[in-house]
Amino acid sequence: MATRLQFENNCDIGVFSKLTNAYCMVAIGGSESFYSVFESELSGVIPVVKTSIAGTRIVGRLCAGNKNGLLLPHTTTDQELQHLRNSLPDQVVVQRIEEKLSALGNCIACNDHVALTHTDLDRETEEIIADVLGVEVFRQTIAGNILVGSFCSLSNRGGLVHPHTSIEDLDELSTLLQVPLVAGTVNRGSEVIAAGMIVNDWTAFCGSDTTATELSVIESVFKLRDSQPSVIVDEMRKSLIDSYV
Amino acid sequence: MPRRPRRHQRLKSWPITFSPFGRALARMGSVSKPKRHSESIENHTPSSSNGFVKHPLDEKPEGSESSDGEFDGVVQADFAFFDPKPNDFHGVKTLLQTYLDVEEWDLSGFVDLILEQTTVGTVVKVEDDEDEGIFALATALNLSRYREQKCIIQLKDLFLAKASQEKGVADQLRVLLGEQAHNVGLLVSQRVVNLPPQLLPPLYDSLFNEVSWATEDEPTEELRNSFRFKHYVMLSKIYKHKNPEQKRKRSDDSEEAIVYVKPEDEIFHKLSSWSFCFPLRTQQPAPHEMKNYRSMGLIMAVEADKIPTFRQELGSLINES
Repeated sequence: MATRLQFENNCDIGVFSKLTNAYCMVAIGGSESFYSVFESELSGVIPVVKTSIAGTRIVGRLCAGNKNGLLLPHTTTDQELQHLRNSLPDQVVVQRIEEKLSALGNCIACNDHVALTHTDLDRETEEIIADVLGVEVFRQTIAGNILVGSFCSLSNRGGLVHPHTSIEDLDELSTLLQVPLVAGTVNRGSEVIAAGMIVNDWTAFCGSDTTATELSVIESVFKLRDSQPSVIVDEMRKSLIDSYV
Repeated sequence: MPRRPRRHQRLKSWPITFSPFGRALARMGSVSKPKRHSESIENHTPSSSNGFVKHPLDEKPEGSESSDGEFDGVVQADFAFFDPKPNDFHGVKTLLQTYLDVEEWDLSGFVDLILEQTTVGTVVKVEDDEDEGIFALATALNLSRYREQKCIIQLKDLFLAKASQEKGVADQLRVLLGEQAHNVGLLVSQRVVNLPPQLLPPLYDSLFNEVSWATEDEPTEELRNSFRFKHYVMLSKIYKHKNPEQKRKRSDDSEEAIVYVKPEDEIFHKLSSWSFCFPLRTQQPAPHEMKNYRSMGLIMAVEADKIPTFRQELGSLINES
């Protein structure tokens, strides 16, 4: 199920938080209502960790991770690194990397199996990504944008990409990533998908400006809806009509 | 309408803003060069009753060429005034992000209200700008017409909470927000920091003209009455000197007790029936000149009768500077 929320009147919650299948990170300094939404959805299942990265609150855009590991930019302080190592589950490898493109969240889009990266990323960084996150790495652009981490939101069950992605690109990316992809928007027409929403295999959070249509697209592509009769009808619609003819 | 007198404009250094035009202005300001006189600023009369007015603002230094590709001080900007449209949502929301400081409230609902009221309300954009960036916004919302809206309820509660410290004023505010609400307009005026001040008189003129046209043009009696404002309530940001007593002792004339972020606030404050300040929760790191000042919110009420005086004084204030 997808939930709408905002961080200090700002609907770009993907900037201030990061969600994976094994943990959730949120920025410090937000209001209690922001945390309580995460805690009510996730506590008991995965840890919700409050942190800063490089002293800033834009944790969602500076780090990249999945259930296997977390990559942090070189600007992360030692205390933050230690805090994250202590708070995250033991099987999550936390690694700080030396990469001049320090906004890793904007450069890397990944799920538990595959990652898309910025075309100018170091070779060394690419190897570390493959190693720490346990993924296959592809250098790609999305709708001509090199910041793949910003314009695409990925889970193990589906993905949402920049609205201007062409059909050919969608097919190509879908084949690489092996998940269904949809081109859409979030937060009432914003193209920066990853800033507006965060998602894992069973839940998603979107900015409060997200319209009902956008929300239903998100719930359907990431397969978040509980089984309902309407789902069965929609998915089986083609075969039903065929049988009439 | 008479044409405005010709004026010269001096270039100032502006802070950086979020649009290509703003960045061009910022780059221009940061390059040091001799002062230049520019062409006059022309004013076109309103071409239609929906208040669409063009204000070209040309700055052409003598004999310069932009062929070398650098921003050599040639920035042409045609500002245009438009009625609010649903497309302006994101731009207007960005401008109003800090309206109520860090309080969490229904900002999106408030923006929707402003954009739906097309009869009264002006947004300032640059002509033919693909980004459609909003540079300024001015509107007046009748507090009684929208009293059911969640954002207005939250706003009223917040205003009353801030006023609770000031005994005398709190009652007057409560009356204006409660019984007298049908006569009260919330004046909302926000803009980017470096907007040329020459745009202010036409902006406020178009706003108050639209209010008076609405009292005649609106389809229903109820709507017409809703624009017959007797009072305007507004919320602004000011900087107050931290140590007013110390200032007097030092008799240092260069430091004023109150610095107004928006120049028209000084006139409004002078003409106001009552006003009060409250400390803002976020204290942004201040530039060097402002280190002795604290940012405060200012809520004031101005009677609608004083508006003609305001328009006159604003015109002369902008003419002087």
